[in-house]
Amino acid sequence: MAAVGGGGLPAYALRRLLLAVPVLFGVSVLVFAVLHLAPGDPAAIMLGAQATKEDVQRLHRDLGLDEPLVVQYVTWIGQVARGDLGRSIPLGRAVLPEVLLRFKATLLLTAGALAIAVVLGLVAGIVSAVKQYSWLDRLSMGVAVTGVSLPVFWTGIMLIIVFALQLRWFPSSGMSSPYDSGVTDVLWHLVLPAVTLGTASAAALARLTRSSVLEIIRQDYVRSARAKGLAERAVIARHVLKNAINPIITVLGVQIGFLLGGAILTETVFSWPGLGSMMVRAIQARDYPLVQGGVLLIATTFVVVNLAVDLLYAIFDPRIRYD
Amino acid sequence: MKTRRAWMVTLVILAAALASGADAAPPKDAIVIGLLAEPVTMDPAQVTDLNSARVTKRIFEGLVAQELGSYKLIPGLARSWDISKDGLTYTFNLRPNVTFHDGTPFNAEAVKFCYERQLNEEGPYYKTGTYPYVKGFLGNVQSIEVVNPLTVQIKLKAPLTPFLQYLAHQSLFIYSPDALKKYGKDIVKNPVGTGPFKLETWEPGVKVVLARNDQYWGGAPKIRQAIYVPIIEAQARLAAIKTGEIDLTIDVPPDSLDGLRKDPNIMVAEANSSAVWYVALNTRHPILKDKRVRQAMNLAINKDAIVRDILKGTAIVSTGPMSPVYGPFREEKTTRYPYDPEKAKALLKEAGYPNGFEVTFFVPESGSGMQQPVEMGTVIQAQLLAVGIKAKIQTMEWGAYLKKYLDGPDMAEMSWNPSIGDPDHVTYMLLSSDRFPPAFNAGFFQNPRVDELLRKGRTTVGDAERVAIYKEAQRIIADEAPWIFIDHGRQIIIHRKRVQGFKLHPNFDLVLSQVWLQ
Repeated sequence: MAAVGGGGLPAYALRRLLLAVPVLFGVSVLVFAVLHLAPGDPAAIMLGAQATKEDVQRLHRDLGLDEPLVVQYVTWIGQVARGDLGRSIPLGRAVLPEVLLRFKATLLLTAGALAIAVVLGLVAGIVSAVKQYSWLDRLSMGVAVTGVSLPVFWTGIMLIIVFALQLRWFPSSGMSSPYDSGVTDVLWHLVLPAVTLGTASAAALARLTRSSVLEIIRQDYVRSARAKGLAERAVIARHVLKNAINPIITVLGVQIGFLLGGAILTETVFSWPGLGSMMVRAIQARDYPLVQGGVLLIATTFVVVNLAVDLLYAIFDPRIRYD
Repeated sequence: MKTRRAWMVTLVILAAALASGADAAPPKDAIVIGLLAEPVTMDPAQVTDLNSARVTKRIFEGLVAQELGSYKLIPGLARSWDISKDGLTYTFNLRPNVTFHDGTPFNAEAVKFCYERQLNEEGPYYKTGTYPYVKGFLGNVQSIEVVNPLTVQIKLKAPLTPFLQYLAHQSLFIYSPDALKKYGKDIVKNPVGTGPFKLETWEPGVKVVLARNDQYWGGAPKIRQAIYVPIIEAQARLAAIKTGEIDLTIDVPPDSLDGLRKDPNIMVAEANSSAVWYVALNTRHPILKDKRVRQAMNLAINKDAIVRDILKGTAIVSTGPMSPVYGPFREEKTTRYPYDPEKAKALLKEAGYPNGFEVTFFVPESGSGMQQPVEMGTVIQAQLLAVGIKAKIQTMEWGAYLKKYLDGPDMAEMSWNPSIGDPDHVTYMLLSSDRFPPAFNAGFFQNPRVDELLRKGRTTVGDAERVAIYKEAQRIIADEAPWIFIDHGRQIIIHRKRVQGFKLHPNFDLVLSQVWLQ
């Protein structure tokens, strides 16, 4: 799967990172084109109805939007190459610190969701496989199918109504209380959005873990392990899981991408101050620099996650070599 | 076992988080306000959206101010002013001993500096921002002179009566010149004004905290802190106010109002606003150019039903561009269009369209001040069909819509929340032939007498004369029916009972100087 030239793991990782450059370049062209070709003018949206024609024209010029598209693209990508993502149009703030700040919140949410997905998904999947066709299996797979099918905005609003409004266990939105902010306060705020976002992934992971474990559990060496008198727990942990883990890691990589994407809706429902809720606003405002910067950051994350997944294979499965 | 220990730790953390959360109650002297979105910018010269205005107007002030609850002008940073007989020279006597939050003095130089930053494209600070309204509000300014440290004189190129109201708009508010020189483009997140509150912290996406300005010339506000949090989702906003996480919020879904009114902890405050919601009709369209057709379309729509059933009483029926907040300037005796499909059909027949006709009808999916555009559009479509007019709806996302709206659609929904308290801003801006697209007279309405009146209204000094001018203009406009007049949205805010002294302002501002907490 990953045999490319000699040089071992570091060289492989470096080559993969270099290959990411054209990918990101393609992403930059695509996002620039799609954004600028979409109808709507940031100056007009910003000014709304109350501005004069002269003011719209003047703002258009001051924002550099009078230049031909190619010139605008070259100017922008030139800045990006120097590490400057420009300034947001309506915010007037530099894009890079802005997206990095928001990205931290998104990462926290994604990590929380991933933790929930991994714990719930693996446990449910393993239990289902080990106790195949039991009521536990049927129940967890039933829940999993439902979980995959529920849209996050619906789950989110339901959780707000039940756990924030009725039971008052958790806050309804935001990342911290307006008048209090500590680690526990943030964790308290994280619970509902992370559960919302993590549920669908947990369900997908559970289904895959189940089939993956089922496949291994029928292998001869598992029977041998049992035959030599190992405890069932040891058989599952040491012999089954270790061999079932690679497809799970692959899906986990895909799920991280899915979570980053799903975060957009979850962040909007819970007003989580992440990249997703910021991007929704930026797209509505046709804030070209901010959307472009945000998309580039997300694309970079995808590339890095994919690479990390590929490298993890080798750690879990020594048979895989990168040379 | 290791995993079991990990579980225990997780549970303990969660329990601790829950317990700590349950204790988090709002402080006694801080108000928490839930906005739909966080402010975009805190440079008043660059503010274009309501959320930014609602926060920056606490930090900054203009030379003149509006009396809370009306558009009546009162002294702001200027103690008094004098307008020359020819309407060209405005002399402002500034308030003495006022300092900016950074300790620098407010004076005539600061006023000149702030206005010239926007106006002078060659000036050293022009490039510290982009100024959305400078041509509209300052384009007519000839010169700004510092007469002495506490007197500033502004000369206009031509008389323009609404100019004084422009000075009460946030884009002409005064900020510390030293702060601008220090922060440059980053002035957007470093506001330094003279107002009753100053910025304490701004965590993007999380909250904005304003602290009381104890040195405020008008007396320090009663509340110590104003905390603004963005809550995008309407249900989350409702949950937050019901649980007491926030004290005050806006844009309540009309459906939930009845429930809120029954909640003993929550107060609903309502007032008329200057907003107007209408369907612009293209007066150059071969069929819609006939006044009788436009009148028939007005008669065909049951506006009371729209206000009652879709907007749940959060609006009042409109009879022209100006809502009741314009007081004496509003004309009551205009041509009215009660729901009368039979009369509509008769008018259509008289105009030569007994079997109706077909038009396209632009409807945005959502948008600033657009209320419930799709539902309202659907009802309008159905009621037009009942008199034979087939309106084909085209829906668009708001950003795309704003552009398409100015391309001369047959008919299109629009709303207008004038930020300026002068009648000029809701008549001339929308219905003068000087304001054809790309300005906002999207229906190309042109009536020589209305044009004459609206131009005269902008240059006439003296309320009595202006009242007569705008009343006549409204009578002609109502009769000409350039729009299907639908409604004037009411502003509705909900707050916890502990919030006292809150009063709504017609331009959707959330003024806090007089508010206290129980």
